[in-house]
Amino acid sequence: MSAPAISLPGCVPTACQQAVPIVAHDQLAKGTFRLRLACPEIARQAIPGQFFMIREPNRIDPLLGRPFALYDTYLDAQGQPAGIEVVYLVVGKMTSLMSTWRVGELAEIWGPLGNGFPLPPAGRLLLVAGGIGQTPFLAIAREALGGRQYGQPLRQPAGQPQQVTLCYGVRSQEYLAGLEDFSSVGLDVQIATDNGTRGHHGYVTDLLRAQLDTIVPDTTVYCCGPEPMMHAVAKLCAEREVTCYLSLETPMACGFGACFSCVTKVRQPDETWDYRRVCVEGPIFKATDLYLG
Amino acid sequence: MSSRLNVELNRLSLANPILVASGTFGYAREMAAYANFSKLGGVIPKTITPQPRAGNPTPRTVETASGMLNSIGLDNDGLDAFIAKHLDYLLSLGTAVIANIAGQNADEFAAMAERLGQYDKLAAIELNISCPNVSHGVDYGTDPAKTTEVIRRVREACPLPIIAKLTPNVTSIVQIAQAAADGGADAVSLVNTFQGMAINWRKRTPILGNVIGGLSGPAIKPLALRMVWQVSQKVKIPIIGVGGISNIDDVMEFLVAGASAVQIGTANFFDPTLATRLVDQLDEVVAAEGCRHVSELVGTLKTK
Repeated sequence: MSAPAISLPGCVPTACQQAVPIVAHDQLAKGTFRLRLACPEIARQAIPGQFFMIREPNRIDPLLGRPFALYDTYLDAQGQPAGIEVVYLVVGKMTSLMSTWRVGELAEIWGPLGNGFPLPPAGRLLLVAGGIGQTPFLAIAREALGGRQYGQPLRQPAGQPQQVTLCYGVRSQEYLAGLEDFSSVGLDVQIATDNGTRGHHGYVTDLLRAQLDTIVPDTTVYCCGPEPMMHAVAKLCAEREVTCYLSLETPMACGFGACFSCVTKVRQPDETWDYRRVCVEGPIFKATDLYLG
Repeated sequence: MSSRLNVELNRLSLANPILVASGTFGYAREMAAYANFSKLGGVIPKTITPQPRAGNPTPRTVETASGMLNSIGLDNDGLDAFIAKHLDYLLSLGTAVIANIAGQNADEFAAMAERLGQYDKLAAIELNISCPNVSHGVDYGTDPAKTTEVIRRVREACPLPIIAKLTPNVTSIVQIAQAAADGGADAVSLVNTFQGMAINWRKRTPILGNVIGGLSGPAIKPLALRMVWQVSQKVKIPIIGVGGISNIDDVMEFLVAGASAVQIGTANFFDPTLATRLVDQLDEVVAAEGCRHVSELVGTLKTK
């Protein structure tokens, strides 16, 4: 019996585990914080769409690391990557604890993890975010708009997209986090709120549908958000034959492929599905490769 | 590493007592960024079953107080794929490789062991007669007679040393460990996970897709220590202690309780460089304790 080749695009052989200092920690929106960690070795390698596991060192409750997407790197005076930022929403035990962390304390981090977004395509790039799903899009927008290069060696986009738009939906305007950051990279930002307190009164998928109805050749969608929203986005894109990538978040214990917790159903050549690890085969998947049951 | 750490578990010789537990270290390649494999006493890859298994529905893990529940359900590609995809890589790591296998009956265990027994570079076979996630709670390793039988069958089929990994979900762990010794096990691994569950009461639903799962992590360390100590008092074969070990003091507690070696499990998930660091730390503690060899510390618990 011949076995399929092993392909783990999100298994990063140069990832590392470090206890690193917190150098900034700011509230961006209701229950939403931006955490900046000094970790040049990790920052130099990180590309948009990758993630890190973060926890408090020497603590057994909460115990496991939690996954957070790269929000962006930050640079030292010489213009070299000095560390990373993540943005998180307080939802449970670990994020509640994190919200009490102070500048100067140590956080444990391992990564970078996962495959990251494909290089920004030519044509139009639509970034579609729901809830706290906007966090992976600052770095990819900056890269797409020529503001920064990422990775080691620096990855080289073949060309720049003509247009980069973020469609960003939240429950209510007080949850909109990082708008200044997104505007500062030159991104076109369109907002939807469930309660109509800002932007379009309705879902982010309404914004996407309007975008897709304006015919622009070579549109690509990158999407991150709650599962039902991502399913709806994948469906809209499939109907219009638009290439769509989803950034998945599933419960994970380790982040590097050891625990087999974070599996999702991936289509197989024979139309069946198999559970595959989001951490080492994703977290970015082509929507058409997923079995969205 | 100094020879004061080497370990003899009947027919199995290890460079040191620090192993990594099955199901917490993938197939080792996932850990290459974090672990120095050649430093470890050995690696035990994820459980292999005769045929591919998709595993249990999601969610498969949930954190609980100082621990975690898992119901992965032995998600693996089967024995053929293990041999084709993983074995050469594992045998190239410069450490002892102990293949962990699970069958549904003694025939399946024996057939898998016979096949793996052809690879004489494997250090040993560990029998998972204790996974709580695949049998609706009725485990092979809860029955002393069946435990003896499956180990006897594997010994007949396979020349490699045999470790029996036991479930703690039994009335008398001593009785099961004795049954494993009677069957010819070289050592026992104590213990696999404790059955447990987590509930979202507002939704009236279980949190795990499989409803119940196995509890691991620091929360179970006292439970595992108790079992290691009780078995060490009654059963003559070496014990590999496993259950919540997260630092060097935990390692020392298991050795003093009677374990000759240990496995690092859940801690690999939240501290992936730990197992490698523990080897140096253990060497330092053995020296600091004035011992010429780590075995001088095993089973040194003083009780009145």
